[in-house]
Amino acid sequence: MKKSGEVVIIGGGISGLSTAYNLARLGCKDVVLLEKESLYSGATGRCGAGVRQQFGLEINCRLAKGACEILENLNELLDYERDIELKQGGYLWLLTTDEEVKLYKKNVQLQNNLGIESRLITVEEALEIVPYLNPEGIKACTFHQKDGHVNPFQVSQAYAEAAKRLGVEINTFTEVTDIKVKNNHIVEVITDKGKIATNKVLNAAGAFAKHIGEMAGVKLPLKPERHQILATEPVEPLLGPMVISTDLACLQEPQGSFIMSYSDPDEPEGVNISSSWRFMEEMAKRVCTVLPILSNIKVVRQWAGNYTMTPDAAPILGSLPGVEGFYFAAGFSGHGFMLGPMTGVLMAEHILGKETTISIDKLDIGRFERGELMREPAVS
Amino acid sequence: MHIKEHPILAFKRGRRVEFFFDGKKMWGYEGEPIAAALHANGVRVLRRSIKLNRPRGFYCAIGNCSSCLMKVNGEPNVRVCVERLEEGMVVGTQMAKGDLSRAKANPISSSGGGSGIRKTDIAVIGGGPAGLSAAISANQMGAKVTLLDRNSRIGGQLIKQTHMFFGSEKQYAFIRGIDIADILADKLDKEMTDVMLNATVLGYYREDGVLGVEENNRFTKIKPERIIVATGASEKVLAFPNNDLPGIYGAGAAQTLMNEHGVVPGNNVLMVGAGNIGLIVSYQLMQAGINVKAIIEAASKIGGYWVHASKVRRLGVPIYTSYTVKKADGRESLERVTIWQLDKNWQPLKGTEIDLNVDVMCIAVGLSPLAELLWQAGCQMKYIPELGGHTPLRGEDMQTTVKGIYVAGDVAGVEEASSAMVEGSLAGLCAAKSLGYDNGRFKELREEAINELMNLRSGPVSEGMRKGLEQLI
Ligand SMILES: Cc1cc2nc3c(=O)[nH]c(=O)nc-3n(C[C@H](O)[C@H](O)[C@H](O)COP(=O)(O)OP(=O)(O)OC[C@H]3O[C@@H](n4cnc5c(N)ncnc54)[C@H](O)[C@@H]3O)c2cc1C
Ligand SMILES: Cc1cc2nc3c(=O)[nH]c(=O)nc-3n(C[C@H](O)[C@H](O)[C@H](O)COP(=O)(O)OP(=O)(O)OC[C@H]3O[C@@H](n4cnc5c(N)ncnc54)[C@H](O)[C@@H]3O)c2cc1C
Ligand code: FES
Repeated sequence: MKKSGEVVIIGGGISGLSTAYNLARLGCKDVVLLEKESLYSGATGRCGAGVRQQFGLEINCRLAKGACEILENLNELLDYERDIELKQGGYLWLLTTDEEVKLYKKNVQLQNNLGIESRLITVEEALEIVPYLNPEGIKACTFHQKDGHVNPFQVSQAYAEAAKRLGVEINTFTEVTDIKVKNNHIVEVITDKGKIATNKVLNAAGAFAKHIGEMAGVKLPLKPERHQILATEPVEPLLGPMVISTDLACLQEPQGSFIMSYSDPDEPEGVNISSSWRFMEEMAKRVCTVLPILSNIKVVRQWAGNYTMTPDAAPILGSLPGVEGFYFAAGFSGHGFMLGPMTGVLMAEHILGKETTISIDKLDIGRFERGELMREPAVS
Repeated sequence: MHIKEHPILAFKRGRRVEFFFDGKKMWGYEGEPIAAALHANGVRVLRRSIKLNRPRGFYCAIGNCSSCLMKVNGEPNVRVCVERLEEGMVVGTQMAKGDLSRAKANPISSSGGGSGIRKTDIAVIGGGPAGLSAAISANQMGAKVTLLDRNSRIGGQLIKQTHMFFGSEKQYAFIRGIDIADILADKLDKEMTDVMLNATVLGYYREDGVLGVEENNRFTKIKPERIIVATGASEKVLAFPNNDLPGIYGAGAAQTLMNEHGVVPGNNVLMVGAGNIGLIVSYQLMQAGINVKAIIEAASKIGGYWVHASKVRRLGVPIYTSYTVKKADGRESLERVTIWQLDKNWQPLKGTEIDLNVDVMCIAVGLSPLAELLWQAGCQMKYIPELGGHTPLRGEDMQTTVKGIYVAGDVAGVEEASSAMVEGSLAGLCAAKSLGYDNGRFKELREEAINELMNLRSGPVSEGMRKGLEQLI
């Protein structure tokens, strides 16, 4: 392991890896990435890897659109040969109340203004897209064809390999235990394998970002929260889009497995990756209500990962005024994977003092003190 | 073909029923596995592989490997080696991944599967010799037990073992495995043990110590105070070209098919591996009137007991040591195997090839512990080749590194049925004692079990095993 680095990245998930690659691409030759376990073993390797542009907040729409365009060209951009399994079968959003319909109408308007071709459709139209859908209780849907799903392992691996090729040093099974700050400047990162002198640190530690912040004396308004998910046996293609509502999210991977998840409002705060039988039962009940055909499919595994929630469900990107050289890319509130390709571009530009492709000023940490919350309404 | 007469076994079969395979009418016995019925009708190709469309048959015959997925009554991905035949069943070759679109949606029960949680003192997972012995001794101490097995009858691998056991009288020397299963089942205290069959333990939820169980297609839950994992082992596979051809089976699978279900595995057999299972199954194949062409063994000497080896040799079966499989050939199923010799460094020697025309090849190259539940529970595991692979660390009382979870039998390191029974007793005693149950004889019985284990493992054949075990405790 190097004794010093121009930039030290904490976290080998999609945020850390794509930032590492982009830093190197922009000419930064001395990047060290530290990951306490294996690469993408955090939320990134545990996520559903749904990719969508249907957001209700302009900045999220822009980030997601940019990220999606990168994913569409990822093989070429990163010179990666394996299939990243991008499937753009759309996201079909089920709306069950009049309020929802009203809100999502507004979202579609916003999305259309930004060049995202989503549309509000009737239940009949939805049934043409997903013939197995149980239409009961659904008032209308929104649909956007370019949304979809990608293989999170392949995407992360593509970034890791490209970063390494450009000279990034990646250290796995290396845990950051402390960060030294002197006169309000970052000076050193301490790990269980030794120390690294540096003036720039990116905190991309996912559910542990709050903990990393504390090492540098910074309080971050982050709340890790368990989310559970399961996968079924593979079957021949049945479902084009991701079916999503406030009750659940369910998609079919190109290799045939269904992946599904739901958010439990009673989930207590804390880092937790254990699975529960309650989730298995409740998930089965919910999915069989929406897609009754799945009552015949077998579950092959269930697992859990952590969302990192912010008070307004929008990410924190930027730097901290009080501690020079301390950067964050955290608090993705359940959609950090799909934003990852763009997170990397923006954070690399920001760390190197360049103007960012999309302005991230409003995503800074100061917004919580200023009371300028973002409030993303389209979170599942 | 079904076996009509057998020197030892009398097959209890269901009534003859009609079923359909790819539109053709066939006959089988109600309650036998679909794969057995198909095999008896000459069907060996059960599905086509997902990417290359290769023919596939069964491999393990006990529900471990998913090699036998077929479409049954419209439902894809059914493991037909364990799914039971019913009258009028419509069975189809599964192409690629299986198609769900024609399956009928099941109604969701109003409770949504959310049944209550059953409580028990000790859950014993697996009703083989280890699990049965664990339940018996835990009962003796006074603990209530729930014994779960995914099979439709208890006994584990014993119910296919027609050979007589060695060892001491305590471990039923000179009694056949199948009869030991009955003896153990009789010894179970019916008041104190709740036996759940067709019940597969799917998961151990660390959060609250609940076991998730699939019982007759329903998800049910049990919360025990202690758990004894006695899930046994699964047969290893061997890598060589075309090793996926139907007709290439685990040796235990051929044994299951023949001794449990009374179906002839084939006409001419090559046995790969001269350990105890390879030797015993070869002998049992001949008992059922099947020709065993040869037994090959990659090591330079026979691994199994001398008694078993001389029995098959006497019947004229050649045992080739330092030989391995070069490749298998056949259009839809196995027709020919090419074997070749290995030098001292285990490198194949060109020019030593021998072609054998066989329709069945049995792979008996060892077992590995079925330890998924232990991994889930977070038990510390160690890779010990002498014991079959990843094996749980444990104390002398058979408790793993996770408090309250005990192990016994093959899952605790692959040995044999005799030691599995003693380990089971020991685990049952200690798990019960840890809950405060003791009929006054705990100390004495525990000592006894520990001494018996020492005796069983004292022979020269057990040297590797002893070395392996030293790393665990
Ligand atoms: C069940 C589930 C489903 C999801 N579905 C989706 C979805 O469909 N679409 C989507 O876009 N997002 C989804 N998400 C969210 C998404 O997974 C995350 O937002 C995203 O992966 C965050 O990436 P990251 O790189 O910021 O964090 P992570 O992937 O969590 O990476 C952080 C890394 O930092 C490491 N680390 C932590 N502390 C230290 C330390 N002290 N030293 C060294 N390394 C450290 C961790 O080990 C970890 O690997 C889902 C999340 C879950 C849990
Ligand atoms: C196919 C096969 C054939 C064998 N033949 C011989 C032989 O001829 N001679 C010989 O000496 N040894 C033989 N052995 C070795 C044999 O494993 C041991 O002799 C002995 O049976 C081990 O006892 P056990 O109780 O540990 O496991 P087993 O006898 O294998 O019993 C384990 C039981 O656990 C059940 N089970 C597993 N997982 C679950 C789950 N998740 N939920 C519920 N139930 C579960 C299984 O259905 C099984 O009944 C054979 C092994 C195998 C696998
Ligand atoms: S699961 Fe049926 S053969 Fe292995």
